[in-house]
Amino acid sequence: MRLAELEQAVQAHVLAGGELPPALGAAVLPPAEERWQIYTEGYRLRLIEALGLQYPALSARLGAEAFALRIEPFVVATPSVHRSIRDYGRELGAYLRARAAVADDEMLADLAEFEWQLAGAFDAADAIPAAPGDLAGLAPTEWAGLRFRGIPSLHRCRTTTNAVAVWRALQVGAGAPPPATRAAPAEWLIWRRELATEFRPVEPDEAAALALLFGGATFGDLCESLLATHGEEAAVRAASWLKGWLIEGSLLRV
Amino acid sequence: MPSALGFGLGLRPVHYTAVLESAPAVDWFEVITENYLVGGGRPLHFLDSVRDRYPVVMHGVSMSIGSTAPLDGGYLDRVLSLAARCEPEWISDHLCWTGVGGQNLHDLMPLPYTEEAVEHVAARIQRVQERLRRPLVLENVSSYVSYTSSAMSEWEFLGALVERTGCGLLLDINNVYVSSRNHGFSAEEFIDGVPLAAVRQFHLAGHQDHGSHCIDTHDAPVRDEVWDLYARAIRRFGPVSTLLERDDKIPPLPELVAELGQARAVARAAEAETA
Repeated sequence: MRLAELEQAVQAHVLAGGELPPALGAAVLPPAEERWQIYTEGYRLRLIEALGLQYPALSARLGAEAFALRIEPFVVATPSVHRSIRDYGRELGAYLRARAAVADDEMLADLAEFEWQLAGAFDAADAIPAAPGDLAGLAPTEWAGLRFRGIPSLHRCRTTTNAVAVWRALQVGAGAPPPATRAAPAEWLIWRRELATEFRPVEPDEAAALALLFGGATFGDLCESLLATHGEEAAVRAASWLKGWLIEGSLLRV
Repeated sequence: MPSALGFGLGLRPVHYTAVLESAPAVDWFEVITENYLVGGGRPLHFLDSVRDRYPVVMHGVSMSIGSTAPLDGGYLDRVLSLAARCEPEWISDHLCWTGVGGQNLHDLMPLPYTEEAVEHVAARIQRVQERLRRPLVLENVSSYVSYTSSAMSEWEFLGALVERTGCGLLLDINNVYVSSRNHGFSAEEFIDGVPLAAVRQFHLAGHQDHGSHCIDTHDAPVRDEVWDLYARAIRRFGPVSTLLERDDKIPPLPELVAELGQARAVARAAEAETA
């Protein structure tokens, strides 16, 4: 058997978790099955362990054993295509949501997606955000042309349940509240300040304003877009948001 | 050849603060390359801080040098970029394959020791060395299956690759022991058969002995049989840079520093025997 065929066959059997096929020409001293399982079992256990580290609150909420049982089908269905095991598991939230049957499942899917975004902020590229003082010397005419984008660690997440309250309770070791569906979906901004990951809820109009800016609009465009809803207060509203974003350190000037 | 670095530890996130605050008696740190192939944040912050104080070696787990899948140029570029940042003494990975067809098993899968594999892997090592602009250092892995197609011993396989590529070797003493038990070869013959000048580094770690076979678990202190083999390696290769690994059930830093002290003592005694 050529090397390429051998590797393909071995990989297929590790992924399938089956017995060691004699045709591979693998010489295994007794106990052969036990040794072969070091590869097959090891594969599943390693990915489950990695997901436990990537989704600590989800794992804590379910308990380690239930977590492993719950995500094993995901691991079987989702081979890793990543060099770093840290990048494995992005699809877990969507996987859980697609199979959600009760409110608790929806909450777990939200929790997974929230944790994935936290992880993304944790080790995203460093950047020095725009600060309020950076704009201090601008002439009034220059403000309208300002453009911004989010710092690399700025992520957004949408929840339809109380997953973030559950996440908070798990952080402090408190009893997690029962799963609940929100009256309206919540949007969250997640970003990193220095080494600390932060997050906060964001109202729909503020989320829309950020989406507009990150889509390439200028600060002037933003003010104009607010005229219909805020009238004469449009510029004040936009300036207030901008001040907040600059204070929390989530924007870069383009 | 880079000079010996002394006695080092594998840098693990749980020890970041202790390393920086206690300035432990550790000569150097080995970092898992893939853990730092990220944009920024805490991992790179602590890597930079440790690098400011200690020599560092980059040790990868997913180059997949033995794979028949195409080399991943994007991965190699990221490795090179990380190397530019932390200026490692050398870059190592494992003599194995980790996946084909775009998938990754995240395991160190053994190769058959055949002439076909020597040719294939040697060509890839040369391409990696050109891309990384330095010799690659490759580690022997623990294995639990072997292939009937193998036409040479593992140490002859290592020797053939060194001869054709000039790569360096990271001789994992624990892996030599574990594989010797699993495949029924002589660990001493392995140590004695590895090309003398190619060995840049030793690894030491713990394993689980199941009687019929051993598993390379990195979850316990180094066992006596491995200390004996390490002494033999020191007698043959001299004061090679030595690295203690622990990846599971990681104890507080002082415990590992104490175990590293044991490595120093074993090495000192072995060197005295050959003096």
